[in-house]
Amino acid sequence: MEENPHPPKRRRFFAQSSPSPSPEPSDPILPSTPQRESHTFTTNNDPSSDDNATTTTPFVDQDEVLDNQDQFEEKIEEDAEALDVQALGIRLDAVMLESFVGEKLSADVLKRLDDISGGDLQRAINMYLDGSWQEAKPSTSRSSGKQSPFNSLFGQAAKRKSSTAIPQESSAGTPASDEEIVQRLDKMPLERYIGAFGVEGWATRSGRNLLSHDEVVLIERQQPQQVQKTVRRGKGKAVAVVSQSASKRRDTVVRFSNSKGEEIGRLSQDTAEYVSTLLDQKICTFKAVCVYAPEVIRTNENIFLQLKCYMLRQTFNPRALRLSDSNRSTGLFEVKETEEEKALRLRQTSLVKLFNEIKLYPTSAGQDLKAKREGLLQGAEMAEEKLEKEEAAKGNGTPIKDEEEPQEGKELEQDQLDQLYKKAQTFDFNSPEAEPAETFAMNLRRYQKQALHWMLNKERDKKNEGQEESMHPLWEEYTWPLKDENDKELPVVESQEKFYVNPYSGELSLKFPVQEQNCLGGILADEMGLGKTIEMLSLIHSNRNEPEVSSASESRAFNLPRLPKSSDIVEPAPYTTLVVAPMSLLSQWQTEAESASKPGTLRTIIYYGADKSLDLRAQCSAANAHNAPHVIITSYGVVLSEFTQIANTVSGARGSSGGLFSVQFFRIILDEAHNIKNRQSKTAKACYELDAIHRWVLTGTPIVNRLEDLFSLVRFLRVEPWSNFAFWRTFITVPFESKDFLRALDVVQTVLEPLVMRRTKDMKQPDGTPLVPLPPKTIIIEEIELSKAERAVYDFIYMYVKRSFAENMEAGSVMKSYTTIFAQILRLRQSCCHPTLVRKKEIVADELEAEEAEAEARGLTDNMDLQALIDKFTSQENEGEFNNYNAHVLQQIKEEAENECPICSDEPIEEMTVTACFHMACKKCLLGLIEFSKNKGEQARCFSCREPINEKELYEVIKHESENLGGLSAFKDVNYTPPEFSLRRLASGKSSAKIDALIANLKRLRRENPGMKSVVFSQFTSFINLIEPALARERIQFVRFDGAMSQQQRSVVLAKFKSHVGGMVLLISLKAGGVGLNLTEAKRVFMMDPWWSFAVESQAIDRIHRMGQTEEVVVHRFIVKGSVEERMVHKIQERKKFIASSLGMMSAEEKRAQRIEDIKDLLS
Amino acid sequence: MALPKRIIKETERLVAEPVPGIEAVPHEDNLRYFDVSIHGPAQSPYEGGVFKLELFLPEDYPMTPPKIRFLTKIYHPNIDRLGRICLDVLKANWSPALQIRTILLSIQALLGAPNPDDPLANDVAQRWKEDEPGAIATAREWTQKHAAP
Repeated sequence: MEENPHPPKRRRFFAQSSPSPSPEPSDPILPSTPQRESHTFTTNNDPSSDDNATTTTPFVDQDEVLDNQDQFEEKIEEDAEALDVQALGIRLDAVMLESFVGEKLSADVLKRLDDISGGDLQRAINMYLDGSWQEAKPSTSRSSGKQSPFNSLFGQAAKRKSSTAIPQESSAGTPASDEEIVQRLDKMPLERYIGAFGVEGWATRSGRNLLSHDEVVLIERQQPQQVQKTVRRGKGKAVAVVSQSASKRRDTVVRFSNSKGEEIGRLSQDTAEYVSTLLDQKICTFKAVCVYAPEVIRTNENIFLQLKCYMLRQTFNPRALRLSDSNRSTGLFEVKETEEEKALRLRQTSLVKLFNEIKLYPTSAGQDLKAKREGLLQGAEMAEEKLEKEEAAKGNGTPIKDEEEPQEGKELEQDQLDQLYKKAQTFDFNSPEAEPAETFAMNLRRYQKQALHWMLNKERDKKNEGQEESMHPLWEEYTWPLKDENDKELPVVESQEKFYVNPYSGELSLKFPVQEQNCLGGILADEMGLGKTIEMLSLIHSNRNEPEVSSASESRAFNLPRLPKSSDIVEPAPYTTLVVAPMSLLSQWQTEAESASKPGTLRTIIYYGADKSLDLRAQCSAANAHNAPHVIITSYGVVLSEFTQIANTVSGARGSSGGLFSVQFFRIILDEAHNIKNRQSKTAKACYELDAIHRWVLTGTPIVNRLEDLFSLVRFLRVEPWSNFAFWRTFITVPFESKDFLRALDVVQTVLEPLVMRRTKDMKQPDGTPLVPLPPKTIIIEEIELSKAERAVYDFIYMYVKRSFAENMEAGSVMKSYTTIFAQILRLRQSCCHPTLVRKKEIVADELEAEEAEAEARGLTDNMDLQALIDKFTSQENEGEFNNYNAHVLQQIKEEAENECPICSDEPIEEMTVTACFHMACKKCLLGLIEFSKNKGEQARCFSCREPINEKELYEVIKHESENLGGLSAFKDVNYTPPEFSLRRLASGKSSAKIDALIANLKRLRRENPGMKSVVFSQFTSFINLIEPALARERIQFVRFDGAMSQQQRSVVLAKFKSHVGGMVLLISLKAGGVGLNLTEAKRVFMMDPWWSFAVESQAIDRIHRMGQTEEVVVHRFIVKGSVEERMVHKIQERKKFIASSLGMMSAEEKRAQRIEDIKDLLS
Repeated sequence: MALPKRIIKETERLVAEPVPGIEAVPHEDNLRYFDVSIHGPAQSPYEGGVFKLELFLPEDYPMTPPKIRFLTKIYHPNIDRLGRICLDVLKANWSPALQIRTILLSIQALLGAPNPDDPLANDVAQRWKEDEPGAIATAREWTQKHAAP
């Protein structure tokens, strides 16, 4: 074209940039390159190019103020020229074309070729040569008649649509590939109408008949005073960001002039705010008509205009404004916002405002659009305010107008988590299956094969065909308007009905923004008991690198590669999968790994404690293929400690350690991955640093209670862009915290969808059968009646706690003395289990500490009462005389063992109990007798000899039945040994109502189901301490598992429990055993004490009632009648069923308030 | 309220192994209520008489003793005009190990061995002490008159 100020420079520029380090496969700018030369003829040949000359006026004139090097100028020019050439509607390089085909082509032919080839030179050549261009349908409505008359009127400012019809492409219809973006872009008119809206302007001059109704008005941007360029060298040519200095008040004046070119006025500030940005950043052009102007205009008088907005094609250039990898949101929350980021933010808010003005709504995006847009503006406002504060600048740059209605409450009532999982859970039962490798020794269920298929696909990074691609969560889909503001049909652009906007970044695209997924792993979140471990093991078998066979003969053991110890290089471990699991599960992993593999096909090692002296770099390296372990199992603790070690060395070099961090594993699996849910924990950070090709996390609860829990997993998986916390925060945390749950959850859902596979136990297969048929589970609540002494202790504490709580309520200090109250409640709950628990020093200490001051004032009399009560409960006489008595009475007891109870006539006597006068009855009858006399104020006397009796001198007869598996004790065959007896003082203080109930149950179990194993859960290890001797006295076999045990001990205990032939009880603390363990050997569960939410208990029960369980599971929950336990179960656990999942929405403060409510309920 | 196992057992046994000279039959509509008849022991002024009693097992039984009363008029120093019986095992010396059977046996024994030193019917006891043959004669008379089978 005529003015072409710097052709040599431009050439140099392109020469430089073509091998630019852009990682993208196709550079969107490039397609226009061949057009450079086309101006020589297109200028004259295209009949529709009448107004092509100075398309770039509003932008090019910024050149003068560019304070920067020619590169930027070139950018502008390039844009300008690209537009010019495109404006002609011919994209082909005619010279090139002609030289290829060897003949001169007429303009018409050229035009047509251009149209049918879509601007593709090669294609055009081919089509020309084979003649197919003549058959191809020529462009139909290339008429300018349809275009708005304004084009010709102000060709100065706005370029007209050059081509409204795009020829049909034979290959059209396929989803957009990268090259196609370009084609697609080319097909788009230079500018395209998106809507119109009315605005107000002020006159800046006075006069008569300056402007009349329907007169075309020219919208102009006043020249900015300062334009900065903030382009990076690398991507410089693609990034054209024009922006003013942030420290100065932004100039946003937008002027308008009449058709004669006389400046009339300026747009109102509100409108100018975003219109100026849109103009400056070359996103849109505006065409305006005057709607109303007074005949005589005075300065400052209002003039009403209608603005029609056209999106510029260049805006959609996908790379034109792509951010570098530092993402915008950091700017929102960190100290400094760069110019680039600011420009982007302006662009973003302007677009949102514009869309609001022209009432253009996405055809597909989050439902709650209004809230979404408001949220966006709010977010931007926050940034703005922050910026202003920091820079102490004057005035507000972008006042945001309508702040409207708060979020409706309706979404809050929904079960948020369920909603969240819903999408991930819509599991397609017909999804393809994969057979595990030959070496895998187990049979997989159907859904497990499907999981395997899915995982294999993830690792191979294949897209699941048939599965619809989800739109990138941050994008919105818009439909181009079909009619203009006057309801006239707008020209149709072939195969471009939609465009896409990322309202968060202001990016626009014509291409469907697919949610990209670039991590070669995922989250396997099947519910507990569905066999995550097995599924994972099948993957380990089915996708592994095989060492070359030839080298097998070499004796590799002596041929370990010698690596310099100091080397910092991270060695690949192509055969090794690292499993990180909680310590308690290490041996379970190994056992399962072994039993899932055909012998010799899988080498597993536990990398823990003394076993970790290995140099993993040597062990796992490719050179050691034939001895390299396939699976290394380690604990989170080991990962953390190695991490800390390395971090503490001077160099921080990972390689030298020879440990977990010195190799790049083939695959990492984090088991029970909610262990890293806190992204700030050292363990989490350590795990992020582990290096592997494939990264997997296993967890039944990807979100424990906060959305950030999920972030940590995503961070570990390195899913871009979500693994950047600032990004996550902007799009998830911030909307979530500002109560825009729906939007946050929407985004989370889209993040999760491609990453997560989750099935639940209660899913049904299409034929209605459950996914995993588990034997039934029965939960029995056993009401426990406290003994009198226990009751006294309980009541005492209860009254005390209640009073203290009431006092606190009155004083309004509940929140302040929260800890005290909570400790007291704990005590109360413990007193339900066993009164001596309350005496435990450390527990009492907690409370005492908290209320030291109070106690002093009140005096310690209350506590002394308590002490007396407890003493009474535990009073013990010396054991010496007891032994004599014991011997004396045994004979008699043996004789009477088969008698009936003289009081209740039961036969045989239940829990035979002997008085000091050697008379025997049921325990409960004797206790009842004593109780009855006491109530009447009489001395209790022996039913038989009328000797005075009391509880302390009652002795229970313990009958030690040798455990015989067949339940044959009734048959007095030759081998029958008469049961042994011993006596135990009844009120020895070592038992409690709950322990008695447990023992009674266990004894019945032993009688009725000899050999059946059971698990006893309690949250108090001190209570377990008391249960132990009770079991020992009854000669009930038991083992114990708690958090204080080492890994070694734990696996010994579990192995013993599993391998023991015959009945056995596993005593286990709720906390240590609540997760992960597989205890399907047991068929009975005893929950000694209730937890605040049943979910925790339920998890524990699921250790037993999980896949692999073959029999019905019976669960006994011991609940003390008429106590806080009862209320915990019936009130609080009931309620938690509904709110548990929304707990995540609560702040710590709210949670406390919630707890206080709980406590109120407890004490009511 | 369900009948305790003990009461069922006792009732069954009373029927299955009756005590000579004693009958106890529970009411159809109230199994805690028994119609009792005791034969006067031999060699006693009550010999030949059949005495009707009513027996009721209270809620607390066997923690508390049964309530028992003569329906037949009887001339006895430990039994008053209303038929109430003065017997230690029915009061302070009750023990839950005692049963209906044992109590009725005690009552039968009481008929054989009146104890005027621990009287309930003061006038009868007085006369028993002062004029034992006369008292016995009266007792016999009453037996003939009121307790004829």
